[in-house]
Amino acid sequence: MLDVLRLVWFDLKHEIYPPVWIGLQWFSFTIQIFIYGALISQLVNIPQIPNYQEFYAVGFVVMMTFDVGSHAGREFVEAAHEGRLPYLLSLPVSRSKLFLSIALKGGLELALMLMVPFAIILALIGNLTVLSVIAAAAALFCLGFGVAGLMLGLSFIAFKSSDLYVAVTTGLSALLIRFSTVLYPLVFLARASPGYDFVAKFSPLTYGADLVHLALGFDPSMLLNPTIAVAALTALAVSTLGLAVFLLGRLVEGVKSG
Amino acid sequence: MYAVETQNLVKRYGKTYALKGLDFTVNPEEIMVLLGPNGSGKTTLLMTLATVLKPTSGVAKVMGFDVVKYPTKVRQILGISFQEARGFWRHKPAEILQFHAAMCGVKKSERNGLIEQVLREMELWDARNKLFMQLSGGQAKRLEVAKVLVQNPKFAIFDEPSSQVDLRGKRTIWGKILGLKEKGVTLIVATNEVREAEYLADRVTILDQGQSIVCDTVQNLKDKITGGDIVELELEHVENDAAFQEELAKIPGTVKLAPLEDNKYKAYVSMAEAWVPKMTSLCYERKIRVSSVRVTEPSLDDVFLSFTGKKLETNENA
Repeated sequence: MLDVLRLVWFDLKHEIYPPVWIGLQWFSFTIQIFIYGALISQLVNIPQIPNYQEFYAVGFVVMMTFDVGSHAGREFVEAAHEGRLPYLLSLPVSRSKLFLSIALKGGLELALMLMVPFAIILALIGNLTVLSVIAAAAALFCLGFGVAGLMLGLSFIAFKSSDLYVAVTTGLSALLIRFSTVLYPLVFLARASPGYDFVAKFSPLTYGADLVHLALGFDPSMLLNPTIAVAALTALAVSTLGLAVFLLGRLVEGVKSG
Repeated sequence: MYAVETQNLVKRYGKTYALKGLDFTVNPEEIMVLLGPNGSGKTTLLMTLATVLKPTSGVAKVMGFDVVKYPTKVRQILGISFQEARGFWRHKPAEILQFHAAMCGVKKSERNGLIEQVLREMELWDARNKLFMQLSGGQAKRLEVAKVLVQNPKFAIFDEPSSQVDLRGKRTIWGKILGLKEKGVTLIVATNEVREAEYLADRVTILDQGQSIVCDTVQNLKDKITGGDIVELELEHVENDAAFQEELAKIPGTVKLAPLEDNKYKAYVSMAEAWVPKMTSLCYERKIRVSSVRVTEPSLDDVFLSFTGKKLETNENA
């Protein structure tokens, strides 16, 4: 287990020292929520949402989770292209420990990145139980792992062309975020733009966002059925991570490294 | 038992074969040099032995451990210096070596001293706290070699260890590789530099298009070239007897004899060390005085050309 921790720390410490990237993410989140979020909440009027700034803040955290998950997946592909992966693959640790360390590093990175924004939304919303906070955090982690797995699962494209991989993942990210209920609830989408709500049901972010909103006490009538959301999110995380491990096992060791 | 052994090893990338049924062995405690141009399969073979790549078919064993069945065991006895020193851009040489030594099980009490020693020997001590991305190509390459040195493995792989390194650096690296051999380490060095191969090799395997063309010691490989040695002979006086020239041409191993001037000859022979004593005996019998004999051996480049019909692409002439 010491090997796993060493691998995690070796990779993670440069994200923290100096913590520029994380600090900038926290800063931009604060600006986004307290300036833009406060302004837009004056314009948006949805009966089920008394204070849109809170809904917006939670949605923004879900988007950050998506970004961090995507980043973890893309970073692994970068590691393969920059020659870091062959080195890691040659170290005297089992593949399962190596993949565990990559997953742990992704999880820790996610936790670090979300620590402050999550604390801000908890303070903003207030009156929450420990259980609801844990449920919301668990939903975010599940979404983060699912998205990282999705990006890893698409890594086979990068072995053909890294440009194509960047194009596909960027395009997919844009579509998954835009066509989701991250910033607007499903009932609002159905009313404002019929058809949009149907497409939004195909985005994993819809399930993640609705579950987190539900856990943090938003009106369940405007959100997806939580059982379906839990099932969809779990299926996403398990299937994409499973697919990623399978593909990596078959592909990474079969792809020319130099 | 061989330290490294492959049987009918195949590695395929889509429709392209990088290794085509390779049979290859390395004896314990020897330096095997893999010589071949870019794309000959050297790096693929090394990556397969290092368990970074999985073979498509065939068997590869390191110290008796099958690389597919026991990859972690193989990695525990293996140290590898990659062809391209890339990767940890934001890390510093000292911390890269600290991490590597820790991962490879070097005791904590020994790590700092060992790392300082290796950094100094590889002339990286002053650069120990620079970021990896600030290192020159030669420094990065020396760091790659340093990783193997701090690890002190039973089996070491060096993929073009001195490419991008200046002559002084090359000498340092070659000295360290020979030092590992003296400690009982088995080594494979892949290169397309003739000088490096001649300096390091106990045996050389010539790879071309994923296949082993020939494997032997440097001297034996040179001797295998028919007419590869050139002997330039100068006599004190002009020798007009045609019979002498005929007898010279009949000495076993003579491939071609070319008179240059009246008292000078150029002989293309298979093994100069056997041919020259016979030539001197002939001259002694005929009371002919020889003023000079100059023997030129073929280079490994000539050996490669002879066995593959191609010139070896080297860093020097690339």
